Amino acid sequence: MGLLCSKNRRYNDADTEENTQTAEIERRIELETKAEKHIQKLLLLGAGESGKSTIFKQIKLLFQTGFDEAELKSYQPVIHANVYQTIKLLHDGAKELAQNDVDFSKYVISDENKEIGEKLSEIGGRLDYPCLTKELALEIENLWKDAAIQETYARGNELQVPDCTHYFMENLHRLSDANYVPTKDDVLYARVRTTGVVEIQFSPVGENKKSGEVYRLFDVGGQRNERRKWIHLFEGVSAVIFCAAISEYDQTLFEDENKNRMMETKELFEWVLKQPCFEKTSFMLFLNKFDIFEKKILKVPLNVCEWFKDYQPVSTGKQEIEHAYEFVKKKFEESYFQNTAPDRVDRVFKIYRTTALDQKVVKKTFKLVDETLRRRNLFEAGLL
Amino acid sequence: MYFHQTVGGHATMPLYQASKDRKDEGLKIVDVLGLESTMKGVEILDLKVMIEEMESIDVPSVFICPISLEPMQDPVTLCTGQTYDRSNILKWFSLGHKTCPTTMQELWDDSVTPNKTLTHLILTWFSHKYLAMKKKLEDVQGRVLDLLDMLKKVKGQARVKALKDLRQLVAANVFARRTVSENGGLALVCSLLGPFTSHAVGSEAIGIIVNLDLVSELKRNLMHPAKVSLLVDIMNEGTIETKMNCAKLIEMLLIEGSGNGNETEIVSSLSLLVGLLRLVRDKKHPTGVLTGLILLKAICSSHESVRSSVISIGAVPQLIELLPSLNKECLEVALYILEVLSTLPEGRMALKECPNIIPNVVKLLMRVSERCTQFALSILWAIYKLAPEECASKAVEAGLAAKLLLVIQSGCNPVLKQMSSEFLKMCSVNYSTSILISKCMLSTIQ
Repeated sequence: MGLLCSKNRRYNDADTEENTQTAEIERRIELETKAEKHIQKLLLLGAGESGKSTIFKQIKLLFQTGFDEAELKSYQPVIHANVYQTIKLLHDGAKELAQNDVDFSKYVISDENKEIGEKLSEIGGRLDYPCLTKELALEIENLWKDAAIQETYARGNELQVPDCTHYFMENLHRLSDANYVPTKDDVLYARVRTTGVVEIQFSPVGENKKSGEVYRLFDVGGQRNERRKWIHLFEGVSAVIFCAAISEYDQTLFEDENKNRMMETKELFEWVLKQPCFEKTSFMLFLNKFDIFEKKILKVPLNVCEWFKDYQPVSTGKQEIEHAYEFVKKKFEESYFQNTAPDRVDRVFKIYRTTALDQKVVKKTFKLVDETLRRRNLFEAGLL
Repeated sequence: MYFHQTVGGHATMPLYQASKDRKDEGLKIVDVLGLESTMKGVEILDLKVMIEEMESIDVPSVFICPISLEPMQDPVTLCTGQTYDRSNILKWFSLGHKTCPTTMQELWDDSVTPNKTLTHLILTWFSHKYLAMKKKLEDVQGRVLDLLDMLKKVKGQARVKALKDLRQLVAANVFARRTVSENGGLALVCSLLGPFTSHAVGSEAIGIIVNLDLVSELKRNLMHPAKVSLLVDIMNEGTIETKMNCAKLIEMLLIEGSGNGNETEIVSSLSLLVGLLRLVRDKKHPTGVLTGLILLKAICSSHESVRSSVISIGAVPQLIELLPSLNKECLEVALYILEVLSTLPEGRMALKECPNIIPNVVKLLMRVSERCTQFALSILWAIYKLAPEECASKAVEAGLAAKLLLVIQSGCNPVLKQMSSEFLKMCSVNYSTSILISKCMLSTIQ
């Protein structure tokens, strides 16, 4: 009897313990699901090199603990790689132009730099790059200063020369220092093609410090790939932050040299707008790379891009820059309303002028985005 | 009501009603006496000036002259004990009367005694009230200046609070508005509007600006595209009050072209137009509907390119759908807009595409006002000309012919009558007279 009893008791104990555990697990799942619901998800979209990852890095710098020393150091090989890749692009580009262009003599590298050029081009083509020594840095600098290379750089829009070129070339001495630790700005300029999805969770700290909003920001790669297969996984995000580099109206795609980048951005924008999963999602359009835009617009007319072919310049200088910017903005606005069904017209759509490399601008812009999203939530909860 | 007729000699007099609140009045006067001591050394102000400046104030009835019903400036008492303003009672006597106007007693003594006590009381009471009013205004002025000062220094939540307080003062008080305008306050508030202005700050600032007069320099300043974008964004995200303020401000910017005529282009982004349509469709807020329609009308009245944009965002079917729920004032504006849009081919197409457009517009003829009828007729004309055969039958079925006859026979302006008879002629081209007449009869019977 006693044995039976005690056996039963053991079984009962085991049951209770299991039940408790299950209950505990269920409780934790419930809590985490509730917590998840309060996390606002933001998705960064845009064509390749539109500045998404730079925005991502800025948010990290602004609202998280930024980059610690280890992380900064980890960017050193990336930056050195960028330097090699860039000078190779310029050198090979010069050679090509010297062979095919009408004005070929402009692009012929001077005799004293020819050998260095070949050597750097070979290095740049490797899979593993050597460390950037002072000697190499000096050679790169000499090549960079070569007239032919400068002429080639002026035609950078045809050659996939990245936007960070000038910055890195001007800082070669610092980058090649033996104890070089990349600065925040260096990291912001560093270029790595994003593959897969990266995410960070952060809370923008307001003045009252009790801003409880938690955001999770996702950055997906920008190059052409099977977007339609994975985009629906982002249904239910609070907002899409669409980055469009307005300075690239005269450039072609990395993946397809026959396609104008601005046209690609336009098509991507329109595709994203029409996705059923974003029916109720707020759209924040970041017209990015304004700093490059304002320099370019005075030299290269907007109507080299087919989308902007009806543009008429009205004046010069600052006024013209503003006028051109407003024109581009209006075009995006038109595209938005043309591709938004009447039942979706009430979703939030705002346009921001950004320079992703400028931390102050990003901070101020994000403050506005945050306010808009919070107001939207209050509105949907019926409290506004 | 008091009528004073001196022609012919007999003046009509109201019977002076003794105040039922004698006791209260007495207390009030004692109060005044009590306060007199606080006013020692204060300059005695001109009574006439004070009375003029405080027109709307509630004056105790014992201070009022029974003849003129105005506060007495020189009270004199008759032998009956009744007091009147000197100039008024002398006038009464000069007309030949020898009675006391209120008691109707015959006067046994025609002397008038200056009532020094009452004179003194009236002067004291008015002085006290006047000084209190001046102090209150100074307080308001002080408060406004404090707030303006604060706005120059603080940011964040403190700035929002300061703007909120200023907005409440400006909305309620003429003097506050004047103080703001005279102390560079308007320029200061305008300067707070920029590309990175938060909604909280922007909506309060706009609420202030809209209550004041904008000089052309400030208007030009606000016409900057970045600031206009901010206005539009705030309008689209704000409460109904904010929406209306933004719409009104944009309208203010369009009036009085300080630029070179392309203000409308600068202002008319698609976001603005879509936002206005949303405002106009909001049946819960009829004042908002009117504000939105008025701005939309101002925008459509200008450049053709803007009209195309308005049509492209689907304004036409949305406005048509809205018509039945609009009051008379809104209806006139809405029809005006549709009439303007009908001058463009895409506008006419859009109108024609609307389901049941013809019967719905015919219904409006001769129903609301002459202007509405005129606009409605123009709209019908525009649709009709697009596809005469198709529209003819629909129009006649809807009873258009009957309505046109009504217009021609009514007292409307000649232009409208002309339009109607020409339209009728067009209709009759496709229908034999007998059928037309029978259709008319049927419609009128209905």
